[in-house]
Amino acid sequence: MPSDHSTLLGFTRGLLWLMLALVAAAFLFVVASGGALVAIWPDIAVEAKNSQVFVDAETMRPQLFALLGILAAILAAAVYVLRQLQALVASAATDPFIPANAGRLRRIGWALVIVQLLALPLGWVAGHIAVSTSKFANMGGLDLNSILAILLVFVLAAVFERGAAMRAELEGTV
Amino acid sequence: MAIVVKLDDLLHAKRMTLTDLSDRIGITLANLSILKTGKAKAIRFSTLEAICTELDCQPGDLLAFEADS
Repeated sequence: MPSDHSTLLGFTRGLLWLMLALVAAAFLFVVASGGALVAIWPDIAVEAKNSQVFVDAETMRPQLFALLGILAAILAAAVYVLRQLQALVASAATDPFIPANAGRLRRIGWALVIVQLLALPLGWVAGHIAVSTSKFANMGGLDLNSILAILLVFVLAAVFERGAAMRAELEGTV
Repeated sequence: MAIVVKLDDLLHAKRMTLTDLSDRIGITLANLSILKTGKAKAIRFSTLEAICTELDCQPGDLLAFEADS
């Protein structure tokens, strides 16, 4: 394998570990936020009311819990996608055209579908508790880029499947 | 498999081993073994030509079709 590819793969490996660390940090933030909602809700409600970002700060605690739950599920899916990507990158250094990689890409595609589906209630809840002009209200929802990424991943999975079949055929050629 | 490779018969008729053939035509023993045991998925014309030249046979002598049923 050419050295520039090795450098690129090494950089990608590092980037994936960095992203996993960021997701872990985000997960800790979600857990801490959930704890704060339980422990110091009156203080949070006052701060939220003063920020003028939320429509009805005093009654939005259940919706905030729902938001945190959805965020936790999205982060779990992100960890799954990143772990699958790490396995893909590891195999890319030796032989990427194996049936396992087609399976990994397909699973990544389905995980992205789940993330997009979770983003819909996320956007709906955020839009209901925050004023429409705030950044908070624009959270989640339908994203064209995500849909394109999902389609791309499924197409790539089909390409890898074909590549793996061609590789098997070539290996059986005498 | 419907295509049967009769390399074993040809080698026996020529009193030649698979190792001898491998040395003479420059195809690895592992690849010739795959061909002999019917595990090959495809055969290159160059391989066919080398085997036919060395064993003085026709491609039809090496390969045969047998219906699965």
